[in-house]
Amino acid sequence: VTTYVALLDGGRREESIEVRMLGPGVYEVRIGDTVRRVDAFRHDSGTVSLIVDTESYSVQLDQRVNDVRVHIRDSVFPVEILDEKRLRMRRAAGKFTVEGRQTLLSPMPGKVVRVLKRPGEAVGEGEGVVVIEAMKMENEIKSPKDGTVVEVLVREGQAVEGNARLAAVE
Amino acid sequence: MSEARPIQKLLVANRGEIAVRILRTAKEMGLRTVAVYSDADRGALHVRLAHEAVNIGPPPSRESYLVGEKIVEAARLTGADAIHPGYGFLSERGEFNRLCWKNGIAFVGPPADAQDAMGVKTSARARMKAAGVPVVPGSEGPIADEREAKAFADGIGYPVMIKAAAGGGGKGMKKVEKAEAFLPLWQGAKRESASAFGDDRLYVEKFLERPRHVEIQVFADRAGNTVWLGERECSVQRRQQKVVEESPSCILDDGMRRAMGEVAVRAARAVGYVGAGTVEFLVDASRTFYFLEMNTRLQVEHPVTEMVTGLDLVRMQIEVAQGLPILRQEEVVRRGHAIEARVYAEDPAKGFMPSPGRISYLRVPGGPGIRDDSGVYTGWVVPQYYDPMISKLLAWAPTREQAIAKLIRGLGDYHVHGITTNVPYLRAVLRHPAFGSGVYDTGFCQAHQKELLVQPDAQYAEVALIAAAVAAFKRDHDDAEAFAARAGAQAGRSSWLRIGRARALRGGVR
Repeated sequence: VTTYVALLDGGRREESIEVRMLGPGVYEVRIGDTVRRVDAFRHDSGTVSLIVDTESYSVQLDQRVNDVRVHIRDSVFPVEILDEKRLRMRRAAGKFTVEGRQTLLSPMPGKVVRVLKRPGEAVGEGEGVVVIEAMKMENEIKSPKDGTVVEVLVREGQAVEGNARLAAVE
Repeated sequence: MSEARPIQKLLVANRGEIAVRILRTAKEMGLRTVAVYSDADRGALHVRLAHEAVNIGPPPSRESYLVGEKIVEAARLTGADAIHPGYGFLSERGEFNRLCWKNGIAFVGPPADAQDAMGVKTSARARMKAAGVPVVPGSEGPIADEREAKAFADGIGYPVMIKAAAGGGGKGMKKVEKAEAFLPLWQGAKRESASAFGDDRLYVEKFLERPRHVEIQVFADRAGNTVWLGERECSVQRRQQKVVEESPSCILDDGMRRAMGEVAVRAARAVGYVGAGTVEFLVDASRTFYFLEMNTRLQVEHPVTEMVTGLDLVRMQIEVAQGLPILRQEEVVRRGHAIEARVYAEDPAKGFMPSPGRISYLRVPGGPGIRDDSGVYTGWVVPQYYDPMISKLLAWAPTREQAIAKLIRGLGDYHVHGITTNVPYLRAVLRHPAFGSGVYDTGFCQAHQKELLVQPDAQYAEVALIAAAVAAFKRDHDDAEAFAARAGAQAGRSSWLRIGRARALRGGVR
């Protein structure tokens, strides 16, 4: 039996899952008090056919850098699956917070078209700090908290990569 | 436009799904084809599908796809005798059109003069007004000074629309709700317009409350036969960008359809139009229609008309460029209902932020009545430089209800991994009761913003966890087995053999 911990809602919710293999492709899965017999058939890198009891699901697993996006029918669930070792490492690294200094990252590669705030300026939660143009659309990168802009790391006209540091708010 | 002659080799001056779309028909017609590509598009699908391909420079479109001289040079290099511009980029530029003809290359599109007349939206409005076509109230021409523009907007009253004189496709277009918001939006529109069209002239128009956007596809041949092929209802728009298009429109009856069709033909004739064009109208609550603009090119949503009429508009464009006649008005037949949904690389949950990146997995729907006009493949990295549309999915069925059900089904089978797409959003649009009833307008996406954001259905959360955990288990299990197999193989080797080798290496006594 292997026990996994699934982090849901961006780490706000945890669920413990026990998996036991009964035979090739057949598993017993326990979540809380519920035990299910699961027949899993992996079609290709992104698609798994699951028969849970008798209900059949075509499940899409979109593996990203930090999580897996599980698509079922119209729903998408971002799930981070950790075994015990990874969970301990995660716990040691601390929790999500907007306290203290927050760095604004570029969510995608693009070009800085405007810098809306200067270092030292006050900023409200949800207020734009930098405008990035990508795919011909302008996107405001907003402050996650009320505070002060302590650093601006980009200039107007500058090209930035995805995850580039743009500014810091404290 | 000079005289028509047969085309042997066609250069497609575009990228993405439309380049692929045009190449498909060109190949069916037995033409040799040439693709052009920027440095960011070396791996793009259209490059692979063409017989020849020419690099035209750095990723930003201003340095590649928008440089007419480079395109014409590529045509000369490969001996292409015609250029199809697709939509966007250079497709509506009269000067590019002339440059092609000057170099003895046929431009697959209308005469340059017709593009000029319609291309500057402000002069088009003036011409249509003169031809007796009703237009939306607005500024007579482009306004250079932002203060002056604001004064004009203050005068006609808010809300107003700021529009790019060279515009199209929603780029450089902003709705201004109140006077205080005018200047920042004007500046944003100016930048967007300059970057999308290389022209930053803007004008101001009165914003009609809750209008519907209905457009008429027209087609004309060189002999002067001009026909209308029916309408497309494009009122499902987000930030002036079309999202879902359908034909027929729920608000048109046969009389109004014919009236709009005839006005559209009159508009096309007024500028000596040849080839495929679209006359866009706004229809207000009292079903009065106003001329909005004419797009002098193939439209993104042209497949909607193709599915309803059974025609291949790209083939017709190429035939017209070769001097062949098109069908007569009474030969145009429309049957059933077609709907198109635009699949964008964007994240609706994050304010529709573009989501460029590598497509790690792609599986697209099939089955009767489904058409996927795509420009991507598994492994392709969607570049940040261009429009985020990756595909258009269409459904055709005898009735509107069936077409909607079919498109919902098709989108359910549309799987893109690695980047985030608006597929769940599109399904929510098609399922929405207001869309289903047919009573919707261009405010639809805004009005139902919250309902259209799909929240995960809690009843599937358990299955999601099971799937993720079983996949993790399988991965860990496979890894452990593979490791054990390798370690085992190592241990299984003869120890005598190992000692013998070690001795030989040391060069000791044998």
